[in-house]
Amino acid sequence: MDTNRRGFLGAMGRVTIGAAASMAGAGQSAQAATDKPHIPHWGMVVDLRKCIGCQACTVACIMENDVPEDSFRTHVSVYEVLKEGGDPAMVMLPRLCNHCDDPPCVPVCPVEATFKLETGEVVVDNTKCVGCAYCVQACPYDARFINHETQTADKCTFCFHRTSAGLLPACVETCVGGARNFGDLDDPESEVSRMLRENEVSVLRPEMHTNPNVYYIGLDAVLDGRVAGEAAYRPPLTTEPQAHGLGAEPQPQGEDA
Amino acid sequence: MQIHELVGAVHEAAWLPWAVQYFFLIALSATALLMALPGLALGRVAALPRARLALMVAVTTGITAPIALLADLHQPGRFWEFFLYTNSSSWMAWGAWFVPSYVGLIVAFAWAVHRPGLYALGQESWRFNWLFRWLSLGGASNGFVRPLGIAAGAAALLVLIYTGAEVYVVRARPLWNTPFLPLQFAATGFVGALGLMLVLERVLCREPALEARLNRALALALGVVAVLGAAWFALALSGLSPRHSEALASVAGFPVWQKIALWGAVSVAVPFVLALVSPSRTGWVTGLIAIHAAWMFRWTVFMGGQAVPKVGSGLYDALLPAGLDGLMGVIGTFGLWLFLLIAYTTFIPWTEASAPADGAVPARPATSH
Ligand code: SF4
Ligand code: SF4
Repeated sequence: MDTNRRGFLGAMGRVTIGAAASMAGAGQSAQAATDKPHIPHWGMVVDLRKCIGCQACTVACIMENDVPEDSFRTHVSVYEVLKEGGDPAMVMLPRLCNHCDDPPCVPVCPVEATFKLETGEVVVDNTKCVGCAYCVQACPYDARFINHETQTADKCTFCFHRTSAGLLPACVETCVGGARNFGDLDDPESEVSRMLRENEVSVLRPEMHTNPNVYYIGLDAVLDGRVAGEAAYRPPLTTEPQAHGLGAEPQPQGEDA
Repeated sequence: MQIHELVGAVHEAAWLPWAVQYFFLIALSATALLMALPGLALGRVAALPRARLALMVAVTTGITAPIALLADLHQPGRFWEFFLYTNSSSWMAWGAWFVPSYVGLIVAFAWAVHRPGLYALGQESWRFNWLFRWLSLGGASNGFVRPLGIAAGAAALLVLIYTGAEVYVVRARPLWNTPFLPLQFAATGFVGALGLMLVLERVLCREPALEARLNRALALALGVVAVLGAAWFALALSGLSPRHSEALASVAGFPVWQKIALWGAVSVAVPFVLALVSPSRTGWVTGLIAIHAAWMFRWTVFMGGQAVPKVGSGLYDALLPAGLDGLMGVIGTFGLWLFLLIAYTTFIPWTEASAPADGAVPARPATSH
């Protein structure tokens, strides 16, 4: 299990080996008895050049994980970016939990209901979570929310239930353009490791020092933090077109975006 | 460069108006308790009238606050887990220990302060004397007022520290992550507590001298708030503190935030001037504006802060509560507080409260009934 969907179709044999390795990582396979068991460190590399903004991943995640209405574990932000002297460009940005190596959401949890697994996923024990939402505040990526059906914190798990069965996360499985790639960052042979070696990659909000495990190829720096643009949504209090930031540039007249 | 967000997710506020109520009430309680100590624990007779009102505020808001906090949990039935799985890296986990200790100590302190009065009522022959005999636990001695008061004062400081730190450490919200925030919470807490004491003074005491004293203290607290606010802006605009600059930049471009800043400045300046110019006639007005200022500050910080997207563009809805549901927390907690206030003023001989005479254990109430 180490590829995107196209790779999966093209390299069945390799995927099977990957699946066995992941079982060994979970300590469930006798294969590992011979040498030191390799524990994978799951990560994702999103190749923005390939994302077509179809939201198939958004829908797949909702179906797979029973995400309630009005919430997302992953979605694709879409921007129109107009640079000085250039033509307007559509830019897609799939967003999800970064399964940070230094996750600010974990230390704040008063009851230790959220934690990082050995394999890198940051997860919530929703039988323990008191629903205080402190972690929702602490995540710099707005990747968490309160699930009003369980009344506990909810977020992407990298589809832990699927990866433990040797499957790819639903969003990766369904990605039409092959933009989402998932695999073991600790395995130098893995496709994601190769992509990290061969491409210039960046992460969202590097200034937060969260050490994300979701990497992007082709991410424009103007989109890597809070995007200073005209919003798709305007709450009732704010009727005027607005931008944040001191000295923000004047906004265009057209408001029918 | 121009950027239009065409598709983006909107995030609702995860901390509801209940949280605003909690932080408002607990700050009023802790600061009021500190103002009750000189008169009631340290024996400064001149400070007694103020201390009695302060203790009333501390007890009534202090009991209401944790109920608002519990209501802000989405799984309130699991609150016991706070004590079972305390995560020592979480300020909220520490708060779970501080808050009940604090509430227990202020109730014990208030009981000790009022014990002689309760005992005296139990000795009179009237219908409910049995209740007061029971409330005084059959005795009038209250030599333990001072240690209880000092312990409650220490707990109040812990509450102020933890409530400030809990919000301040959230780096993901620039508006919260400024070192000034804990100080601003404390200073506006004093403003709100003095405002409430002024209003209660107008309703229950009507002593111009006390009104003037409270108004002067309020002016001092408002002065501190103004200085902190001005320093916040100066640090942000000058760029001396990148955190402050980031906080300001996160909201500066939005007209609604400019209006909020103006509103805040006016609600500090107006009571400040009134309290200084006419301290013994303006209690109602300065008191109400002060309460409003302390509450608005928290609403703005919590709901306004949550309206600022972390990665998206524009603003989210949180600034305005969504219908009656959002306001229920506000209305409900004020209702409960009012009930407690009526109970306090009805059942507790609060006008007689005083510090125990030094060294001696009074056999009789310190003042006659
Ligand atoms: S993206 Fe947010 S929720 Fe996910 S691990 Fe990082 S801080 Fe936690
Ligand atoms: S909402 Fe749940 S997981 Fe998040 S900090 Fe609170 S108890 Fe922990």
